[in-house]
Amino acid sequence: MSKDLPDGEVVPRVLAGDPELYRVLVERYRRDFGRIAEALVGDPDAAADALQEAFIRAFRSLDSCRDPDRFRPWFYRIVANQCHDQRRRRPAVPIEDVEVAAKETADAAVQDDELAGRLEQALERLTPEQREAFVMKEVEGRSYAEMAGLLDMSADALKMRVHRARETLKELLGDLR
Amino acid sequence: MSDHILKDDDLDRAAAALKRKLRGPDASFDDRVMARVRAEAQPARAKRGLLRLLEPRQVRVSPAWLPLAAAALFAVWFAGTRFGARRLEAPAIAATAPRSDTVYVRFELRAPGARAVHLAGDFTEWRPDSIALTRDPDGSWSVTLPLVVGQHAYQFVVDGERWVTDPHAGTVDDGFGGRNSVIVVGPKGVVRS
Repeated sequence: MSKDLPDGEVVPRVLAGDPELYRVLVERYRRDFGRIAEALVGDPDAAADALQEAFIRAFRSLDSCRDPDRFRPWFYRIVANQCHDQRRRRPAVPIEDVEVAAKETADAAVQDDELAGRLEQALERLTPEQREAFVMKEVEGRSYAEMAGLLDMSADALKMRVHRARETLKELLGDLR
Repeated sequence: MSDHILKDDDLDRAAAALKRKLRGPDASFDDRVMARVRAEAQPARAKRGLLRLLEPRQVRVSPAWLPLAAAALFAVWFAGTRFGARRLEAPAIAATAPRSDTVYVRFELRAPGARAVHLAGDFTEWRPDSIALTRDPDGSWSVTLPLVVGQHAYQFVVDGERWVTDPHAGTVDDGFGGRNSVIVVGPKGVVRS
């Protein structure tokens, strides 16, 4: 099945004139990076636009992916840049302006929505690098080893980045206690 | 900034809530991307189609068609001489002729807001980034390059992503629902654009 082909085989075949095989990568990384794009951009529709643009940019410059076996980190860089650009185009919303349900509500689902909504807004206050590291680690639950491979950084540096992101968020969201 | 500091547990709870909220695009996303991928792949396929047209091939002509074929050849020759007389009128393209089979052709596009402009055509095998144009102070972009005598299809690529036909040149159907700009280069310069 072509959907099981590794990236290292798909990329050369697409470059050799089989654009339809690009669907394998689209399906694979829509699932892999779709949610992270949504967390980075903060809006589902804008995130989908950013991800789509990232796929097209990657397709156009596929011949510059020198190591097809490492398509994933190469493509992730394109996705992250596209998400940062998309986010810059959206006006920041002050955390205080986010409509939230009353804290005393007993409805756990509403409380979750409130928590998630306020965290999304607080993420906008982080640097792009901190936001990316926090989302990967704490929202997506990726390991530091995997993050190090994707971001081309040491695990120790990423731990520090996540720690600083957490400290900033804890201050920003202090009123949630 | 708040006077309070959120507990680690509460931040973890917020992160878990955000994770549950995130969905990512649905499967219809794949079709939308692939539709664009196919559109992007068209210039490459058009290139291959054009190259096939330019390949030498054997043509069999019925004797009954010979008078018509001769008339058509004369019409093409006559049109070529007519256009050749005003070849430098084309505003986007000028030419000099250092050799009989290669002519220097100047391509120009006015695009003051562009960050980069490239030229792609059958002469670059439709690679969108191999020939960069230089920006003039007035916002025009230009490049001069040698082209062999014959017909050439091309487009400008603005900012690496927008394919633009030359507003001062004729166009031909690319065979995939789009248009390519076209010039005809003769031994003494651009015959038709």
